[in-house]
Amino acid sequence: MKILVIEDEQALCETIVSYLEEEGYRCEQAETVKLGTEKVNLYEYDCMLVDIGLSDGSGLSLIKELKKCHPETGIIIISAKNSQDDKISGLDLGADDYLTKPFHLPELNSRIKSLLRRRKFEGKQELVIDKITIHPENRQVLVGSEPLQLTRKEFDLLMFFVSNRGRVLTKESIAEHLWGDFADAADSFDFVYSHIKNLRRKLVEKSGIDYFRNVYGTGYIFQV
Amino acid sequence: MKLQTKINIRFLAFTFLVFSIAGVLFYFALDKVVNQNIREMLESRKAYIIISLLQNPPTVDTIESTDHSIFIKRINNTLEYKRFSDTLAFDQEEKELIPFRKMTFSVHSGNQHYEVVLLQSLLESEDLQVVIFSFMAALFGIVLLALFFLNRWLSNKAWNPFFKSLSVLSSWKIGEARPVSFDRTGISEFDQLNSTLENMMQKIQADFINLKEFTENASHEIQTPLAIIKSKLEMVLQDKTLNDQQNNRIHAAFESAIRLSKLNEALLLLSKIENRQFVETAEIDICQLIQSRLEYLEELFALKQIGVTVCLEKQVTFKMNSLLADILISNLLSNALRHNIEKGKIVISSENQGITISNTSEQGEMNVSRLFRRFAKQVTSSESNGLGLAIANEICNNYNLQLSYRYSNELHCMTIRQKS
Repeated sequence: MKILVIEDEQALCETIVSYLEEEGYRCEQAETVKLGTEKVNLYEYDCMLVDIGLSDGSGLSLIKELKKCHPETGIIIISAKNSQDDKISGLDLGADDYLTKPFHLPELNSRIKSLLRRRKFEGKQELVIDKITIHPENRQVLVGSEPLQLTRKEFDLLMFFVSNRGRVLTKESIAEHLWGDFADAADSFDFVYSHIKNLRRKLVEKSGIDYFRNVYGTGYIFQV
Repeated sequence: MKLQTKINIRFLAFTFLVFSIAGVLFYFALDKVVNQNIREMLESRKAYIIISLLQNPPTVDTIESTDHSIFIKRINNTLEYKRFSDTLAFDQEEKELIPFRKMTFSVHSGNQHYEVVLLQSLLESEDLQVVIFSFMAALFGIVLLALFFLNRWLSNKAWNPFFKSLSVLSSWKIGEARPVSFDRTGISEFDQLNSTLENMMQKIQADFINLKEFTENASHEIQTPLAIIKSKLEMVLQDKTLNDQQNNRIHAAFESAIRLSKLNEALLLLSKIENRQFVETAEIDICQLIQSRLEYLEELFALKQIGVTVCLEKQVTFKMNSLLADILISNLLSNALRHNIEKGKIVISSENQGITISNTSEQGEMNVSRLFRRFAKQVTSSESNGLGLAIANEICNNYNLQLSYRYSNELHCMTIRQKS
């Protein structure tokens, strides 16, 4: 899987790229609209991450460019918060998803995965992780051959962990994934804790295996 | 009290005083002149009577003229005297008692002695006095009135440039791009005042814009390094070789970076709202918006076992930007949730063009004057940045809405209402 990251902030770009490369993607970087246009025209990518506010212009023009030559490439916009206009015009141009800066890397990762799943397999891909089988398109989870009943939030949580297998997910990124802007509205970490407790209990009951590991004071890891 | 009224009242009071004194003096002068006049008339009649008596000594003891104005009596007294006195006598023509001046004097002609009494009616002179005095009074009145209107007109005219400047000043809003300009008045004092004001306002405007730009640029520029710090720390946290203590320390730094970046975002949002950068407006159905937000929060309420009572029978719509409406409602709902207690309650109700969100809390009544100020945290909660209500208030201000706080029945009530 090839991903093009267009972001003019070098350090941020590097972090994104190294996180994604650890996930097994091949990444290329571009810092300007000019460079990005070149790459988009020359090569083919599975997904493009594009910052709207670039030093030599708007990333929106890149979306137009990409839609012309490779309409099947998934597009995720990265932009500053509260620029509703960018979001709307980006999605109008055919972008698939939208992330506001600053975002959590696991969040970006799970968005890319879900985008690629939708694009490549029309969502019909089966995710098999050890004893767990997930059908993302109809939000079904099987442990072994038995179906597992999960609430909406528990399912989202499981998908988030599965997408970021073996990664430390901080409480903050989990809360934001589940509740977005409301993440800091309540004692959301307590809620994260109780959601994970429930999910963990349900999975252990069915499979007898605890896939979750606490990282003291920081968050959780889902590992097989 | 208006300056003009004050000046006018003093002016009128002073004029009235002067006129009153003048009136009193005038009265005495008039009185003196009239008295003099009557005395002179009596004297001239006296001279005439003396001559008549001397030329034609009367043959009877008493003589009275037909109009009773002369009365002559023979006496034996040889003393010379002359007396004046006032008296009332019945007048046949007027059919009433009228005042008279009476002059009594003695006349000696050879060995004959007479006492003469002359009466002079004061009626005419009194009438005259009244006429003159009331005419003068009327004249004073007219002059007073004329002066009053003249004075008012003059001061109106003179103060006109001042009121113009005042209206320019009161319609001026700091931060508004519209430049201030005063008309030339042609009066040097006012022109001087206006040019001083103009300079001052330009300076204030420039300072204000500078400061605002600085804040915006600063927050904007901070955003990127913060994002880098956050993502780098997130990467470090992935390192499995870290021990718990190291993990904890990095996580604390990560947490602070998140807080800082949220704070910064909120500040940027505030300045964007203040700059009115959210131009598009639409009729927003607030009840519907609240319903959709509530669905989103349902679970968080459930986890804290908060009972939510929603009573949105009256439809409430506000004309505003949709994103800001969303932020406004989210902020208020978040607050109601964040500051709530376990098993507490939230009541949301709509009334005439207004929405009230009330919640229980462990804190008592808030200090209203500080509530909507930035960073006016009344509790030290790490999850609150102290900007939520400031943002909500700023949004309301932008759309002529009133955000008010009330504490009753142990409920903290936030009400948004259309300003009338």
